[in-house]
Amino acid sequence: MPQTRIERAFLWSITLASLFFILRQVGVEGAIFEYAPEAILFIGAGILAVIFAQTRRLDLFKNRLRGPILGWLVGIAVCVMVLVLAQKGVQDSWEFAKDYKKAWKALTPFASFAIKLFALFAVALLIVGTRDDATTPRGAIERAFGSNMSSKVAAMPMAFTAVGIFVIATLWTVYHSFTNSKLLPKSELIGFDQYQRLWDSDRWILSIKNLAIYGACSMVFSLVIGFVLAALLDQKIRLESLFRTIFLYPFALSFIVTGLVWQWILTPEFGVQHIVRSLGWESFTFDPLFNPDIVIYGILIAGLWQGTGLVMCLMLAGLRGIDQEVWKAARVDGIPAWKTYIFVVIPMMKPVFVTTLVLIASGIIKLYDLVVAQTSGGPGLASEVPAKYVYDYMFGGQNLGQGFAASTMMLVGVLIALIPFAYLEFGGRKKHG
Amino acid sequence: MADPVQFTGPHGPKPKTPFSRRNIMLYGTLIVVSLYYLVPLYVMIVTSLKGMPEIRMGNIFAPPMEITFEPWVKAWSQACTGLNCDGLSRGFWNSVQITIPSVLASIIIASVNGYALANWRFKGANVFFGILIFGAFIPYQVMIYPIVIMLREMGLYTKLGGLVIVHSIFGMPILTLLFRNYFASLPEELFKAARVDGARFWGIYFRIMLPMSMPIFVVAVILQVTGIWNDFLFGVIYAKPDSYPMTVQLNNIVNSVQGVKEYNVNMAATLLTGAVPLFIYFVSGKLFVRGVAAGAVKG
Amino acid sequence: MNSVEIKNLDLNFGAVKVLQNLNLDIKQGEFVVLLGSSGCGKSTLLNCIAGLLEVSGGQLFINGKNVTWSEPNERGIGMVFQSYALYPQMTVKGNLTFGLKNAKMPKDEIEKRVARAAEILQIEPLLDRKPAALSGGQRQRVAIGRALVRDVDVFLFDEPLSNLDAKLRADLRVEIKKLHQQLQNTMIYVTHDQIEAMTLADRIAIMKGGKIMQLGSPDEIYNRPQNLYVADFIGSPSMDFFEGHLENGVFTMGDIALPMADYEYANGPVSGPAIVGIRPEHILTGDQTAGAVTTQVTIDIVEPMGSDTLVYSSLNCKPLHIRMDGKAKVAAGETITIGFDPVSASLFDPTTEERI
Repeated sequence: MPQTRIERAFLWSITLASLFFILRQVGVEGAIFEYAPEAILFIGAGILAVIFAQTRRLDLFKNRLRGPILGWLVGIAVCVMVLVLAQKGVQDSWEFAKDYKKAWKALTPFASFAIKLFALFAVALLIVGTRDDATTPRGAIERAFGSNMSSKVAAMPMAFTAVGIFVIATLWTVYHSFTNSKLLPKSELIGFDQYQRLWDSDRWILSIKNLAIYGACSMVFSLVIGFVLAALLDQKIRLESLFRTIFLYPFALSFIVTGLVWQWILTPEFGVQHIVRSLGWESFTFDPLFNPDIVIYGILIAGLWQGTGLVMCLMLAGLRGIDQEVWKAARVDGIPAWKTYIFVVIPMMKPVFVTTLVLIASGIIKLYDLVVAQTSGGPGLASEVPAKYVYDYMFGGQNLGQGFAASTMMLVGVLIALIPFAYLEFGGRKKHG
Repeated sequence: MADPVQFTGPHGPKPKTPFSRRNIMLYGTLIVVSLYYLVPLYVMIVTSLKGMPEIRMGNIFAPPMEITFEPWVKAWSQACTGLNCDGLSRGFWNSVQITIPSVLASIIIASVNGYALANWRFKGANVFFGILIFGAFIPYQVMIYPIVIMLREMGLYTKLGGLVIVHSIFGMPILTLLFRNYFASLPEELFKAARVDGARFWGIYFRIMLPMSMPIFVVAVILQVTGIWNDFLFGVIYAKPDSYPMTVQLNNIVNSVQGVKEYNVNMAATLLTGAVPLFIYFVSGKLFVRGVAAGAVKG
Repeated sequence: MNSVEIKNLDLNFGAVKVLQNLNLDIKQGEFVVLLGSSGCGKSTLLNCIAGLLEVSGGQLFINGKNVTWSEPNERGIGMVFQSYALYPQMTVKGNLTFGLKNAKMPKDEIEKRVARAAEILQIEPLLDRKPAALSGGQRQRVAIGRALVRDVDVFLFDEPLSNLDAKLRADLRVEIKKLHQQLQNTMIYVTHDQIEAMTLADRIAIMKGGKIMQLGSPDEIYNRPQNLYVADFIGSPSMDFFEGHLENGVFTMGDIALPMADYEYANGPVSGPAIVGIRPEHILTGDQTAGAVTTQVTIDIVEPMGSDTLVYSSLNCKPLHIRMDGKAKVAAGETITIGFDPVSASLFDPTTEERI
C-alpha cells in the first residue's frame, strides 16, 4: 500500500535526522553534520505535506488522536520553557534559573531540536487522526507516536541511559583511546600508539598479572568455599539462619570498610604476626601487605571474606532448588552423600554455577576500592590493578589517552569473558525453539 | 506369629544421635568458619574502644581493659582529612544527601520502566532493554570520563546533584531487571481485568500494581541504599572534598600520610561507616538475601 | 440485530497465524461456547473480542458498533477470568466498583448497581472482605459480579470454572446457566470441558488451529458432527471409526453390510469409500438387537461405572467401545451379540474428512 510506504518514509526521515543530530551533539565534526539534521527534518515535513495532499482535511476536535496530539504540544511547551530559562534576562530575575544556568545552556540545542521534532509529530498525528476513523487499522505513524504513549514516555529514561550513556559514552571512550589526549580530550587519531605504550608499561603488565592471580584464586576459592558452606548449611542443621547471617554480613559492607579492617588485622607490628610472635614463635613472618611478592594474596583474603557469603547464598538457593526426590533415590540406591554431590547434584546445578561465575567475574574486573583502601597500590606498585591504572591516568596523571586505552582493554577483557556466557545463554535458548 | 525372626529388631546401628561424629564435624567446621567471618567485626569493635597506649602495648584480639568512647567522638567530629578537621560527620551527611534522592529517583524511574516493559510492550523496547542489561557488564571505567564531560557541561560536576544522576543511571539496569521480572511474574489476567475496567497506564500502575508490589520495593530500597552508601568510585570521581561521601572521607582519614596513626579512631570511623548498611542488613534479614541475589550483578 | 459480529478476523504473532479469516455471528441473548483443546485459539479469540489483543485484520462489531480498534472498556463487555483476577488489595466492594469509578459514574448509581449485583449473586455478606478471605467459589462469584455491575450487553468467560474442584464446578455451572436465563445477556464462554459446553451452550463453536470446525447446537454437534475432527473430539469415550465402502445405500465393512436407507445424507446419497463413526451408546445389545444388523464380538475389558458399564472390545481389528446398562452382567472373555443402528451413525469422506 502506498499509504503505508509513505508513512514509513516519514518515520525513516525522522529517525535519520535524530541520528545525525546525536552525532553532531556528541562532537562528530564535518560540514554534513552541521546542516543534515534540520535538512532531513525539512524533507520529513515535505513528506507530511504529501500525506496531507491526499486527505486535504484537518480537524482537531473530532480527531481520534486528540490525546497524543495534546501530549506532544505539552512536550513542546516544556522545551520552550527550557529555552526561556536559558535566557539571560530570565536568569537575572529568577534565582532558580540562575543556579542551574549551565544546565539550561547545555540543554538548549536539545530543546530546540525537540521542538521541531515534536511539532512534526503533532502535525503528522493531526493529519492521520483526521484521515482515519475508529474503523481503520492503525498506520505506521500512529503506531510510532500515537499509541501506547505513556509506556514509551516511561521508557525514555531507560532509552536515554542505554543509548545516551552506555552506547555513546563507550564508543566515545573507545574512539578517544586512539588519540593523543593529555589534559583534555583531543580528536585527531594517532593509531595504536596509546596501546603500544600501555603494553610496554611495566605497571600495566603488573596490574594485569595481579588481576589474573586475584581473579583465578577468587573464582576457585569462592566457588569451592561457597559451595562447601552451602552444602554444610543444607544438612538440616539448627541455627541455619544464624550461620547464614554470619557468613553474609560482610557483603553488606563497603569494600573500603573491608579493606581497612584487614589492613589493620594484617599490620605486622600489631596484627596477626605480632600475636603469633608474642606467643613465642619469634621468627614468624606474616606481612602480606608489606611484601611485594604476596601482597595480592593479602587483598585476596579480604576479598574472599567479603564475597564468599554471596556465593554461598546463591549455591544454597541452587541446592534448595534441586528436587528432594533425587536425594531419596540416591539413598535408596545406597550412594554415599559425597558421591551424590559430585556426580548428581553439581551437574544439576550447572546453571547456578554459570550465573555465579559471571557474577564473580564481573565483580573481579571492577576490583578497585579494596586495593585503594588496603594498600593504595603498594608497596611500591606491587598491588596495582587495571581499574586503578585507569583512574590514576585519567584523573591523576593527566594522560587521558592512556586512561582511555586501558579502560578499553578492560572492556575487551569483559567481552571475552562474556562471550562463552552469552553463547550458553542464547545458543541454549535457540535449541529449545 | 509364624516367623519370630521378624521381630528381632533392625539390622545395623541406629543412625544419628545428637553428638554423633558427623554432627561434631559439621558444627565444628561451621563454628570455625564463623569465627573467621566474625573476627574482623570483633577486632573493629574492640580496637575502637581502646586507648592508644593500650593498643601499642597489647594484642589486637584482647578485649579492652578500659573502655573509652573517645575514639568514636573523635572519629565523628574531629578526625582530619587534609585541612578539614570536622570528622566523619560531614561525610555522613553528604552520604545521606546523596543516598536519599538517588534511591528515590532510581526506584521511581526503574519501577515505571520495568512496568512498561513487562505489561505495555512496544516495538523496540526489548532492544533498549537488552542494551541496558549488557551495559551492566561494561566496566564503569569506560564510561566515567564522558559522564564527567556531560556533568561539567551541565554545571553539575562535583555537585551532589551530579552524583544523584550518576547513581540513578548506573542503578537502572539491575533495578529495571528486578522490577520487570517482578511485574512479569504477577498474573497477567489481573492486568487484563484492569484494562476491561477502564484503567489505563498510570491507573493500573498506581491502583493495581503498586499496592501489590511493596515487597519488591523494599528489596529495591535495600539494594540501593547499601549500594549507594558503599560506593567509593563515583564518590571519588564526581565529588570534591566538600561533597565527598562517607566512604571516600573514611579512606582519606585512615590512609592519610600526615600525623600519627590513631588506630582506635580509624576503627571507630570504619565502624561508623559500616553501621548504616549493617543496620539495614540485620533488620531486613531475608529480604536482603533476595536483594543481593538480584543485585549481585552490581557487585 | 446481532449482538457480536466477527468478520474475516485475522491475528498474527509475527509469522505465526493464530486466527485465520474467522467469521462468527452471535445473536442477542445467545450463549455461545468456544470449545477446543489447548492452543486452538479459543482464548485468543475471546481476548480479541475483549480488545485485549490487537487484531491483524478484519472487523469486529458489538451491538452494531464497529469496535475493532476500541479500548476494552469502550466495547460494552464484561469479562470473567480463569484465575478470577480479583485485585487483592481491594475489598470485594472495591473490586466491584473499580471499573465504575474509572468511568466516573455518580456515587448513588454505583451503590445501586453494587447492591443489585450482590443480591443476584448472593454475596452481600462478603462486600467488606478482601479476596484472600474468600473461598474459590466465592471469588468466582465476585469475578462474575465485576462483569455484572458494568451492566454490559456481552459477557465474556475465559475458562471461569477450571480452577475449581469438580463438585463446585458443577454447582457454579448451574448458577451460570440460571444467571443467563435471568439476565438474558449475550454470553461467550471459553472452555475445554465438553460437559460445560454441552450443558451451557445455545450453540457451540468447536475450534482447531485458529479456525471454527463446526458451529451448531449441542445436539447438532453431538449427533451430526460435520467432520471427523469434531466427531472424534466430542464424546467420552469418543466415536469409534471403521473404514468401509458405500455403494447403493449400503455401507460394507468386512463381512458386515449396513443398509443406510434411513440415514440423513448431507448432500444426498453418494458412492465410494467412506468411514462410519458409531458412538458407544448407539451400539445395540441384548434385546435391542432384534431386527438390526448384528455381529459377534469378544469382550476385552469391562469398566463398571455405576450408572452404565463400558465395555472394551474390537471389531475388524479396530477398537470398539460399547456403553451398556449399569446392571448388565458381562465379563471379560465373553462373546456377545451386538447390533448397529444406521440412523444414529455418521458417515465421513475419508479424503476430505467431511460428513457425507
